This record gives sequence, structure tokens and C-alpha cells, in this order.
Amino acid sequence: MDRRYLLKNSLALGGLVGLGGCATHPPSPPPKAVSSIPIEDRVPHLAPIRAHTDRLFDIKVCIRPFRTKGPNLDVEQIGDAMVVHNYGHGGSGWSLSWGSANMAVQKAMSASPKQIAVIGCGIIGLTSALTAQRAGAQVTIYTRELLPRTRSVRANGSWTPDSRISLASEAPSNFGATWEEMARMSWKTLRSYLGLPGNPVTFTDHYRLSDQPFGQPTPRDPAIPPLPPPSWTGLPEKSSDFGEYADRIADLTPKPQILTEDNNPFPVKYASRSTQMFFNFTEYGQLLMSNFYAAGGKIVIRDFHSPNELADLPEKVIINCPGFAARDWWKDKAMVPVRGQTGWLIPQPEVNYAMTYRNVQILSKSDGIMVIALEDGDMKGYNNSDESVRRAESERAVRVIEELFSRFPTNPA
Amino acid sequence: MRHKLILAVMACMAASGARAGTWDGVYTDAQAQRGGVLFQQQCGRCHGANLAGTFETPPLMGRFKPYWSGATLDTLFDYVATAMPLDHPGSLSRAANADILAFLLKANDFPAGTKELSASSEDLKAIRFDAVRPPPETAPKSKRKK
Repeated sequence: MDRRYLLKNSLALGGLVGLGGCATHPPSPPPKAVSSIPIEDRVPHLAPIRAHTDRLFDIKVCIRPFRTKGPNLDVEQIGDAMVVHNYGHGGSGWSLSWGSANMAVQKAMSASPKQIAVIGCGIIGLTSALTAQRAGAQVTIYTRELLPRTRSVRANGSWTPDSRISLASEAPSNFGATWEEMARMSWKTLRSYLGLPGNPVTFTDHYRLSDQPFGQPTPRDPAIPPLPPPSWTGLPEKSSDFGEYADRIADLTPKPQILTEDNNPFPVKYASRSTQMFFNFTEYGQLLMSNFYAAGGKIVIRDFHSPNELADLPEKVIINCPGFAARDWWKDKAMVPVRGQTGWLIPQPEVNYAMTYRNVQILSKSDGIMVIALEDGDMKGYNNSDESVRRAESERAVRVIEELFSRFPTNPA
Repeated sequence: MRHKLILAVMACMAASGARAGTWDGVYTDAQAQRGGVLFQQQCGRCHGANLAGTFETPPLMGRFKPYWSGATLDTLFDYVATAMPLDHPGSLSRAANADILAFLLKANDFPAGTKELSASSEDLKAIRFDAVRPPPETAPKSKRKK
């Protein structure tokens, strides 16, 4: 197998390398191994990522609104107002939003309201508002922040429907079924946002690279500071203490493909490819806002300080989507902050894939190439509400990818 | 009609227990100064030394006033005391939070007075956060009607 042939031809190392190769060398004979790979399964040309720390142009920190019992969809009465809760979606808000909104709106519409108030304008609030409009209600969103500045936009923004969505030991016994209903409803709704200008919702290939055979844990970089000792008692103690439900919807997404050596363009021993749905925040957010306004929606900028204030709203049916603020506003002790940080490299539209290697994930989006450090799995950031930026963490992640690309041959002399 | 309206307003004030407002000099300059030191140590890292906030962190000036207007100070105190500092919520003493609150009032141009802001929820409940100075005739009129 001609390894250099694959590197040069499967991973397009920039125009210069390709052109140089054509001009100075006779065409390489087609490698025999390639012919054994079905044409549709061959890895297409992939543009290299300019992973350098000085191209990190933004770092975002969020607090995932994790709720140990799973999202709160309860109904409660505040004065003469019916409040339908819709918060606590952990790392799964973007994914589950439409399904969760559907459940909340069904409860809200049972009171046959003409007007509905939605509290909060993150992804859960916006999808709740749009779903309520589609159910025939006039909707006003009361929010202290609009979408670009809500915590939602500091998330990963990928289809990760069971990412820190519950603690397995705390979730109600029927939560798996509820979760599945949410996930399937969201998946169907998201279909209608595919293929639109700007790709608000889209798919990409996700390459998982490893130095070890798949199934073996990725070694932790000893240079990374260890997790602080738990500041809580009891669970979770490890990633597997979190609820995992993905098997319930395994039929929705293709299975990962192991890339054989002759179909692996990366300079690592093991590689697989799966398919990842993700959300382009800018396009998707603006589209949802436009749709909300076009359907007669109104926005009122307002901060609430106690649940009793909701009784003063003119709308008597309220869908409550405060995200993490529920911990302090509603004194919901099941809410736990889970810190997450994403670094952003300057956008490269030619990079159209995602990648995970050595506990670093890369996802190329319209507004930048997202870089996340994944070491310590779901325990990372648990019960941590520090929203300050740790640049060193993102730079370290970028360097992992930088080193990976440095293994490719340089431009031939 | 007008009489009924004023009675209703008085009933609301009685219900909320608010007998003073943020324009009535509810903290002292010395207390605000202490609070300012604490603010820079505990809050400034996120909210900014000048309280202007960042893209992600809300400012504690400007829109801060309309956002809290109408609440009584016990609500604001309770929020600060239980939710802040964000990375170590609830870690400051009640006295420290009262001082920080005094600093926030001063930074938002509410006048100082001669009595320190109390850390007692009951006392704080009696103080209403008014973004705009209430018209001076409101109180006397109420009294006249009474």
C-alpha cells in the first residue's frame, strides 16, 4: 500500500501540494487496495485544518442546565396562572428542544389559551414559542437575554440527545420512554430545517481517530490538571452514572464504519467514520427568530425575581424555560451546573467534517471550527459554575490537532 | 375612582411591606466603600471592575435598574446571597452581601444616607427598588387621602 499516495490524494493538503505533485511526478498508479473499497465508502478529499493557537478567535463558556432527575416538565399553579415547566436539558437542549416543546405545549394548550407566555429565549424557549404559535396561540416571550447572548449559544450545538440528560439513579422509571418520544419528535421536526440556505441544520462526517484499537480507553494527557475532588456527596462518581438512552433511537443514525488502513487518510492507526447532525447557531437562531416574529410573536425584555411575579403577567398560561436560572429562581435543588468550554478557530468553509482524536473534538461550522477538550467524559465540569475562560484548555486542544496535521508530509521540494 | 386606585396602591405597599425606597438613603457611604472592595475581590472578575459586564455576563448598571425595579431589596439580596459569586454561590456572609448591595446602590446613583443597609430579610423587604425616583407628591397625596 502506498501510504504517501493516500495522504496526498485522500486528504487534499492544499492546492500547492496537489498541483506540485501533478506537475513534477508522473501520475501514481491507482492503488490496488482502493479498488476493493466500494466507491461510495471511500473517504473523499478532506481539507486540512489550520489548527494553530493564534487562530483561536473566540472561547465560549457555558453552564449546562443539568437536572439530576431529567428535564422538568411539571405543571404548577402560580396564583391564577398555569405554569408548564420546560427546563433542565443538560447537554441535550439543542437536540431535544422540539420534542420537549411539543410536550410542554400539549400541556399548555389543554387550558385552551388564546395567549401564551414563554419565559426565556434560549433554544428551549424559542422552540416552545414556535410550537405554541403553530398550535394556534399568540405568544409573547419574556426574556432577559435574546438568543445570541443566551447560554444556549455557548453550547456545542450538535445532535447529542442523551448528553448529560439525567443521573440514571435519579431519573423517573419512565424517563427512558419520555426521552425517546422527545428525541424522535425533535428528529422529525429538524428534518424541515435541512437543506435551507446557510444550512441552519446539517449533517457532516465525523472521523474518530485513535492510537489504540477501538474499545480501549484513550489515555489521559498527564499534562492536563486532574479533576478536583468532588464537591458533592453521592453520585455521580463516573460517566456511566449518567442516564444513557441512545440505544432506543439507534435506528435513526447510520452505524460507524471502521476505516480500513487503505481507506484511512489520517496518519493514525485506527479510524472510524460516523455521521453527525449539527446546528449552525447563527443561521438557525436567526431563522427561528424570524419565524417567531413572522407569526406575530412579541418579545418583552424582562427579568423575573420570584415565581410569584408570573401571576402578574396578562397571559395565564406560561411555559417556563429559564434554563440554569431555574436553580436560583425556582430553588430547584435538582439543578446542577456543568461547565463546558468551546474554543473557536477562524472558519474554514472548505473543512466539511468533524473529528475526534486524543480526547479533543473538532467540528467545522459556518461560524468557526469548534474545538472541545473531552477528557474525563461526563464528569468534566460537573457541579462547576465557573464561567470564566480557561484559554490554556482550548490552546492545549488545538495543539493536539496541530500535531496531528504536522505528521503529514510537507510540500515536496 | 381615584380614591379606590390610591387605596389599592396603599394595599399593595402594605402587602409587600415596602415602606421606603432606594432613593431614601438606605445605605451609608462607608458601607458602600467596604462593599466596593468586596465587589472587586468577589464580583469584578465576571461583572467587570466598572460593572459594565461582558458579552456573556450581565452588567450591574444601566439595564440593571429597570430589571430590578419594583422588587423589594430582600429579593435582590436573596439572589445575590444564594446565586453569587457564580463559581462559589452562597459563600459570602450576609454582612458582606449587604455591603456589596450598598455598593451596587451607590454605583447606580442612589443616594447614601446615615443608616447602614441591614442584612435582615425583614428590614430589606421594607425597601423597594425604584429605578426612577418616585414623584415627590405621591407620598403626601396618599397621606392626605388617608
